[in-house]
Amino acid sequence: MAFSKKEDESGLSSYYNNKTTIIQEARVFNESPISPRKCRALLTRIVYLLYVGETFGTQEATTLFFGTTKLFQHKDSALRQAVYLAIKELATTAEDVIMVTSSIMKDMQPNSEVIYRPNAIRALCRIIDPSMAQGVERFFKAAIVDRNPSISSAALVSAYHLFPHAKDVVKRWVNEAQEAVSAKSAGYFGGTVSGGSFFGGGGGQSAAQTVPSSSNITQYHALGLLYLIRQQDRMAVTKMIQQLGGGKSGAGTTLKNAMALCMLIRYAAKVMEEDPNVQRQMVDLLEGWLRHKSDMVNFEAARVICEMKNVTSGQLTKSIAVMQLFLSSPKPVLKFAATRTLASLALSHPTSVAVCNVDLENLITDSNRSVATYAITTLLKTGNEASVDRLIKQITGFMSEISDEFKVIIVEAIRSLCLKFPAKHAAMLTFLSGVLRDEGGYDFKRAVVEAIFDMIKFIGECKEQALSHLCEFIEDCEFTKLSVRILHLLGIEGPKSSQPAKYIRFIYNRVVLENAPVRAAAVSSMAKFGVNSTDEKLNNSIAVLLNRCLDDVDDEVRDRAAMYLKVFKTEKLVEPYIKEDSVFSLAALEAKLVSYVNDAGSSAQPFDVSTVPKISRSQAALDAARPSSLDTIGVPATKKSAAAPLPPSAAEAQSAYAEKLAAVPSFASYGAILNSSAKPVQLTESETEYQVTCVKHIFREHIVFQFNVSNTLPDTVLEQVTMAMQTEDSGLTEDFVLPIPSLSAATSPGIVYVSFTRDEPEEYAIASFQCTLQFVSKELDPTTGEPEADGYEDEYQIEEVELSAGGDYIVPSYTTFGAEWDRLKAGPSLTETFGLGTSMESLKAACDSIIEVLNMEPLGGTEVPTSTSVHTLQLSGLVTGGGGKVLVRCRMTFSQGVGVTLELGVRAEKQDVCQLVVNAVGG
Amino acid sequence: MAGFFSTFLSWISGRVFFFSKTAEIAIVGLQASGKTSFVNVIGSGQWSEDVVPTVGFIFRKVRKGNVTLKIWDVAGQPKFRSMWERYCHGVDAIVFILDSADPEKFNTARFELHQLLGQPALTGVPLLLLGNKNDLDGHVPVKDLIRDLQLDKITDRPVSCYSCSMKSQHNLDIVLQWLAGRSH
Repeated sequence: MAFSKKEDESGLSSYYNNKTTIIQEARVFNESPISPRKCRALLTRIVYLLYVGETFGTQEATTLFFGTTKLFQHKDSALRQAVYLAIKELATTAEDVIMVTSSIMKDMQPNSEVIYRPNAIRALCRIIDPSMAQGVERFFKAAIVDRNPSISSAALVSAYHLFPHAKDVVKRWVNEAQEAVSAKSAGYFGGTVSGGSFFGGGGGQSAAQTVPSSSNITQYHALGLLYLIRQQDRMAVTKMIQQLGGGKSGAGTTLKNAMALCMLIRYAAKVMEEDPNVQRQMVDLLEGWLRHKSDMVNFEAARVICEMKNVTSGQLTKSIAVMQLFLSSPKPVLKFAATRTLASLALSHPTSVAVCNVDLENLITDSNRSVATYAITTLLKTGNEASVDRLIKQITGFMSEISDEFKVIIVEAIRSLCLKFPAKHAAMLTFLSGVLRDEGGYDFKRAVVEAIFDMIKFIGECKEQALSHLCEFIEDCEFTKLSVRILHLLGIEGPKSSQPAKYIRFIYNRVVLENAPVRAAAVSSMAKFGVNSTDEKLNNSIAVLLNRCLDDVDDEVRDRAAMYLKVFKTEKLVEPYIKEDSVFSLAALEAKLVSYVNDAGSSAQPFDVSTVPKISRSQAALDAARPSSLDTIGVPATKKSAAAPLPPSAAEAQSAYAEKLAAVPSFASYGAILNSSAKPVQLTESETEYQVTCVKHIFREHIVFQFNVSNTLPDTVLEQVTMAMQTEDSGLTEDFVLPIPSLSAATSPGIVYVSFTRDEPEEYAIASFQCTLQFVSKELDPTTGEPEADGYEDEYQIEEVELSAGGDYIVPSYTTFGAEWDRLKAGPSLTETFGLGTSMESLKAACDSIIEVLNMEPLGGTEVPTSTSVHTLQLSGLVTGGGGKVLVRCRMTFSQGVGVTLELGVRAEKQDVCQLVVNAVGG
Repeated sequence: MAGFFSTFLSWISGRVFFFSKTAEIAIVGLQASGKTSFVNVIGSGQWSEDVVPTVGFIFRKVRKGNVTLKIWDVAGQPKFRSMWERYCHGVDAIVFILDSADPEKFNTARFELHQLLGQPALTGVPLLLLGNKNDLDGHVPVKDLIRDLQLDKITDRPVSCYSCSMKSQHNLDIVLQWLAGRSH
C-alpha cells in the first residue's frame, strides 16, 4: 500500500516530496494516538528522498531519527518494518543512533515471533559500534542458524557488514555460517512467518504474511560470509570449494542456490589465478558445472574457463559448446552474456571461437542491438579477410541505432582489424571517416580519432587520405582536446607529405575560427610546416600567416607566434625548440627546483638547467603511462590482474633521498646534492643476520655514504652502530660518522652516515673502501623486552664500496647523438683502444657491461648489436657538478678467438672528464 | 486494504474499552538506580538481581486494571542523560528514580534532575521522585531526600516523593496509585 502511494507521488509536484515539508510533517510521529498509516507514508517519503539523492543535515537527520524512535511504542508490524528501514537509512547521518540499541535487541530476541525480527537484525548492524559486537554475539549465533531463512539471511548479511569493524568477533561465527551453508533444505515451516525481501534494501515489504522462500538464498549469504572470513587463507578457501563443490561431477553439492554456486565458481577462479597448482582439480569441478541444470551456473563456469590464464583450446571446447547453445537461446540475457564472453575470448583464441561463426552471423540482425554489436565485433576478430567488407557494410547499417558505448566497442574492433588486415585499410578508413561525421559524444569521437591515428602510424599507404579526413573533421569539431591532438599530429606528419601546402588552409582556418587553445595549437602546427619544409615560397607564406597571429587577443597564441617567427630567423634555434626529441625528466627537474628554491644562498645565480637529465619522448610517454592512483581505484578486483606498477624511476628515488638528507643538520652547510646513486648497492648476502645497503651522495665539496643497516635478529639490539671505512686511494679525507644509537629488528633499517671531504673538488676522486660494521650487541630480555645491561663489542665485515665514474659522477642523459657529437668536435676528446679479451663472448655482452660501468644512456637502440662482428655503441651522459655533457662512441669488433676489441672515443666539455671515462673502462 | 482494516480495528477497540485510560510516563535517573527493574516489576512482577544496562531506551506497555501505562525506560549512563529531555516531551509524568542507599550520588542526581526540569518544554509536567532500595541498611529516609535534592525549590509542577523498594515491593501500591492518577 505504501508502495503504490509512492508511485503516485513521484508524478506530483516537487512540493509534496520536499525536504522541508517532510521535516514539518514529522510532527505526526509525536501525535497521540499514533496513526500508523500517516507515519508509514511519511517514513516512505523519507526513504524515497534519501533514495533519490537528497541529503539531510546532521541536525535534521537526528530530529527525524528521534521522531521515528517514538514509533517503537506501536504494535503495527508494517509500521515497525518501515521504522527499521528508515532507521537504517538515517543511521549514517544522525547522531546518537545508539539510543535504539536496547529497543532493537528486544525485537530480535530468539523467542520473539514477530515479522520484523529480520528487519531488526539488519538495522542493528548499522547502529552498533564495533566494541558492542561482543554483546550481541549470542543473538547473532542463534539467528544465523535460525530455521527461518529470512532471519538467517538477515543475520548473515549483517555479519558480513560487521566483519570489517569487528573481525575477531565475527570470525567466531564461522561454525554457524558453515551450518547455514550446508542446511539441507529450507522446506516449509508451519506457523513460522517470514517477512521481507531478501535484498534488504527496497520497499517491497508488504504486511501480508509471506510464504517461506524456497530459493535457498541463505546459502548464498552464508557462502559470502564464509569466504570473507577465510579469504586470507588460500588453503581454507580451496578446501571450502572442494567440500561444497561436491566431487568431480559436481553432482554431490549441497548448494542448491544458483547464485551461491556462481559465487563458488568465482572463488574457484580466484584461487586458480593465485595458485596454478590447483588448476587441474578446479577445471574438473568447473567442467562438472557446465552440465548443471541452471543456465546461470553453466554460463559462470564457461566464462571462468574462457578467462583462465594459459587456457588451451582443448579445455575451451566444452565451454564454447555451452556458449554456442546460449547463442540460439530465446532469452536475450543469455545471448548477450554469451556474445560478450566470446567477443573477449576472440581476442586471444580466434580459431576456437570461429566454430560459433554461423550462430553469430544470425545474431547480426538481432533486435537487441547490444547483442548484435558484440556478435559483429566477435566476427570481425574471427573472420577472414574476405568477410571484412561485408561485415563493415552490415555495421554501417545500424551504427546510428546503438549507444555511444557500443559504438566505441565497434571502433576498437575495427582498429585492431586494421592492423590485422592492412590490405583492407581503404574500406575501414571510409567507414571510420563516415562515423566521424555521425553524432556522438567525446569518448566515441576520441576512439575514432585514435583509430585513425593508429592507421597513420602503422599503415603508410593510407596516411595522406587519413590526414585529409582528419582535416575535414576539425573543420567542424566541438571537442577542443581532439582538435588540439589532431593539429599536433598534422604538424608532425603534414610536412612529410607530398603536398604540405594543402594542409595549411585547414590549419589557418582554425586560427581564424576557434577558441584560444585550438588557435595556439594551430600556430605551433603551422610553425612545424615552416621549419621542416625546404620550399621557400611556403616558408614565406607561413611567416605571413604567423605575423597575422601576432594580433591575436590571447597571450599564449601571440607568444607562440612571436617565438616561432624568431626561431625562423635564427637557424640555430630550430634544433632545440622545434626538432628536439628530448624532454626534461620531470621528477628530477622538480627535485632540483625545490632544492634551488629552498636554498637561500643560490638565488643570486640563475637556475642551472643543464644539470637536469633529459629523457627521450618515448621514455616520457612510458613514465606518463604509469598508472596513477586514481586509475587503479576504479578497477574491479576480479578483472585480470593489472600489470605490475612500474618501479619508481631513478630520478624519483633521488628526490626521496634528498628529503632525508635535508633532515640531518650536519649536512646543512654542504649545499645541494649533485648526484645520488640511482639505487642502493647491496653489501651483504640477502639472508645474513645484518643487512647493509649503501647509497652515495656527491656534494660539491663532500661525499656522503649512506649505509642502510637492518638488524634481522628479533632478540638482540645493536647499540652504537658505526661504519669503519678504510681506503688506500687518495683524494678524500674522512670528516665524521653519524652512528645509530640503537637498532632493533623493529626499528630497522637505520641509517649510518659517513662523510668525506673532497680534497680537490674539481677532480673526480676514484676510490674503493674496505668497510666494517662495528657495534655493541645486547640480548633482549624475553620477559620484559628491555635490553640487558651488558653487551659485547662485535664487528661484521661487509663488501667493498666503490666510488667510480659511472653512477657516481656520470648520470644518463638523453640527447641527439649525431648533432651533439659534431658540436663537441672542437672540445676536449680522447680516443683509446682496448682488447677486452675472450672473456666477452659476444658484442651484446660487451655493450651491456660498458653501459653498466659507465652508467650512460645508450642512444638510438645501439645497445642491441645488429651484427655479430662489428658494432658501434653510442652513449650520452651528464657529469655532475657542472661537468657538462659527455658523449662516448664505442666501436667494437668481435672475432672468434680474439674476443672483443674496443675503440673508445670520448668527447666532453672538460678534459679531465674524458680521462675519467677512459680510466673507468680501462681500470 | 490492510491499512483500512487496522484503522477500523483500532477504532472498534477504542469504542469497546471506552472507559479505559492511558498515561504516558518517562522514567529517568542515574545508572543502576533501578529504572529497568521498576518497569520489570510493575510489568511482570518479576525482580532479578542482574539486569543488563540499558543502551538508549526501552519502550514498554503495561496494563493495570483499566489503565494502560506507556513507559519510556531511558538509560541513565552519562552519555544518554542529554537525551532524557526528548523522551520526557509530552508525557503525563516524569518518574525520577534514585538509589537512596547511595548518598554519594545525590549531588549528581540533584544536578541532573534540576537540569532536566529547567527545560522550558517540560514546565508543569508532574514529577515523582522514588527513593529506591529502601530494603538496604543505611538508606536515606524520605525527609532527607526532599532536602538533599532540593525538591522544595520546584514550584512549577506537582511533586511527590516516596521511599520504596523493588526487591521487597514496598510502597509499590501507592506508586501505582499515583501513576494511575495521572491517566486520562
